[in-house]
Parts: sequence; structure tokens; C-alpha cells
Amino acid sequence: MVRLPTRSADWRLMGRTARLVVTIPTYAVVTLAGGLVALTLFVGSLNVTLVLDTLSLPISAAAKAETLLSLYPFVGSAYTSVQGGLLVVVALALGVNVAMLAYHFREHGLSLQQSGGSVAGAVLGALGAGCAACGSAILLGLLSLLGISTSLLWLPLDGLEFALLALVVVLLSTYWLADGMRGGEIQGCPVELG
Amino acid sequence: MDERTRRRFVGTAGGLLAGLAGCLGDDGGGGSGSDGATTTSGLVGESADVTFDHESATGINDQPTLGDRDWQGVIVAFEDPSCPTCRRFDRNTFPQIRSDLVATGDVAYVFRGYPVVYPWGEPASHALEATFARDPAAMWALKRHYFDQQDQFSTDNVLDRTGAFLNGRTDVDGDAVVADVESDASADAVQTDLDAGQAAGASGTPTFYLFRNGEYQTTVSGAQDFTVFENVLTG
Repeated sequence: MVRLPTRSADWRLMGRTARLVVTIPTYAVVTLAGGLVALTLFVGSLNVTLVLDTLSLPISAAAKAETLLSLYPFVGSAYTSVQGGLLVVVALALGVNVAMLAYHFREHGLSLQQSGGSVAGAVLGALGAGCAACGSAILLGLLSLLGISTSLLWLPLDGLEFALLALVVVLLSTYWLADGMRGGEIQGCPVELG
Repeated sequence: MDERTRRRFVGTAGGLLAGLAGCLGDDGGGGSGSDGATTTSGLVGESADVTFDHESATGINDQPTLGDRDWQGVIVAFEDPSCPTCRRFDRNTFPQIRSDLVATGDVAYVFRGYPVVYPWGEPASHALEATFARDPAAMWALKRHYFDQQDQFSTDNVLDRTGAFLNGRTDVDGDAVVADVESDASADAVQTDLDAGQAAGASGTPTFYLFRNGEYQTTVSGAQDFTVFENVLTG
């Protein structure tokens, strides 16, 4: 049976486990690197052609760097502050998730099944970035594949629904990882108190 | 004064006058004399015929264009009047493209309707085509009006509001434009844009195809920053 974080103790367990892992310097780096990679994937997936073409355009290296950096939220104008904030949160949550996954894998061994939530979160995060930035770009493609009229498309949050869904999936995955580490120790500290 | 310099001077002078006229406008989105129609007036007009070897540029010589299509850079923009991200682009990025790239004679901006988001975007795109056939400057004003008032539009009121805007704020006969939309008079023009966008692979709006010296450079999706367009086209 799938367990869900329905009690406050579940959220405390998740928070404590995450904190214990990301305060290890190595895993702090993994968290930040994972978050940056996730954010890069989110924004890059929307403009793959532009990213690849920019690298080969006959413009200066500074112009190339500026062009690529401007694709990120809060650097360029592609996202509103709400969209950008949510994408950064999803990316950071995914970074924490990856760090916990790496820790669990290295220290305790881990079945590949348990990483499914992280992958789903990353995919939904990319969808969220795409929809948030481009209105309905990715959804249009998906719906047309299913033969659904694009005129039926109506997203009250302008595509942020996917980013929110990604956050839920990543949090669930993080909870299941923490749940799997219950009873163990991280840096000598018990994961579960009481 | 060589041709390039002369074009820059004319463009800059036109941009300055246009900017001044825009400041005098009442709501920044109205009709000729006080709005988008005026702010683009120095940039709307005859434009050279060009041939770009890219699907997005099919029929480009018949499209609404700010500036001259034979300038160094050309942006072919696929936009939907009902698309919120297009509105954000129109507010955040387009004004700087117009003032810093188009008005300077560096880059031409070609608009193509691509109604794929909300249902009212389709009749709005038809109305843009019907208006363009009568007065290109009024079309730019109407496009701006759609974005400025986007939240107010729906399938039920788009034609009434379009007619009222054109009648009240431009010299175009709004009733005639509405009649054209209802009779599908602009269907071919709208379909040409849709076909071009689909052939080019535009999966949503806004999508921009960038050309430099007649050569395709790249595709930009979303309400991206001005620096992206500036760097690719003039960097």
C-alpha cells in the first residue's frame, strides 16, 4: 500500500531527513548541482533549437553567454515572478530529492523502483516550465496527439498546474525516500526521533 | 550619407517622433493618432520583397511588417491575440525591439497570426487580417488593443469589441471588418499563416523565427528577453 504524508510527523520526518542529508557538504553540492541541472533542463527544454544554434552562431562568446543566461527565470523576461519562483522551488526540491537518492543509494542500497518519483517529478517540472513559459505549447502537442481539439484548452493558472503537480510528485518521492530511511542514521543522527 | 546611415537616421527620427506621439496617447492602446497605430506609423509602409528559404517565411511578402524586410535582421513572429504569454512579450520585449532594433533600421518585424490558444483568438486573427487589408497601421493598433484588453475578450464579444474599437479609434470601418470575419473573407490569409507555422514546427505561441542577412538563424519560443533577439540579430 502506498503511504502518503498525511500526518505532521510525516512532514517532520521528511524535513529532518532532508536537512541531515543536505548539511553534509558533499550532498549540499549535489543538491545545488542537481537543482541547477533541473532548472537548466526545464528552461532549455523549451528552447532546444535556440540553445544549440546559439553555440554555433557567429556572435561573441559574451553575447552567447548573455543569450543563454537570459533564458533563466529572474535573469530574462520569459517567466513571471510567480512562474520563476515556482520553477526554482521545483528545481531545488528536485535537487534535494536527488541528493537524498544519492545518499540512500550509496549508504543503504536502493531499488531502482524508488527513483521513479524523481523521474516523474523531473518530467512534470519540464512540462511546467514549458507551459508556464509558452502558454500551452507542450500541452497543445500532447492534446493534438490524443486528437483533442486545441480550442478546448483552458488552464486557469496558464500552465503552472504542471509545475505545481511536479512539486507534489517530488515531495511525495522525497517522503518515500525519507520513509525508506526510517530507522537508519545520517551522520550519526537517527533519522526518526521518538 | 550612405544608404545604411540614411536608413538609420530616418528610422531613428521616426522612432523619436513615434515615441513622442505614443507618450501623448490616452491609453497607449487606442487608434490612429494616439496609440500603436501612430507609434508604428513611421515603420509601416512599403517593404521590399524578399525570399527566405524557410517554411516560416512562406508568403512573407504579404504579411504585416514593421520596417523593411531586406534589412539586416528579420523576425517572423507567430502570435495569438488570446495568448497570455504573447501579451507578456508584447508588454515586456516588443517595445524595446521596436525602439532599439526596428526604429534604428536594423531589424524588421513580421507579424503572423497563429490562433491556437483560446477560441476567441481565431476570429481576432481574422479581424487582424481584414484590418490589415484596409490599413496596416490600424492592424498594429488592433493587435495592441487585443493584448492590452486581453482579459476582457471572449468568443461572445470579440467581434462587437473589435468593431467598436476600429470604428471609434481608427479610420477603418469596423462594421466592414466584422462582416469580413463573419463571411470568412480572410480565411485564406489566416490559413496561410497557420500552414506556415505548422510547416516550420511552431508548437505554440509566441514563436519567433530569426533571419540575418537572409539566412535563417534560430527559433525562439516564449516571451524571451530582448537580449536574445538583439544578440542573435545584431551581436
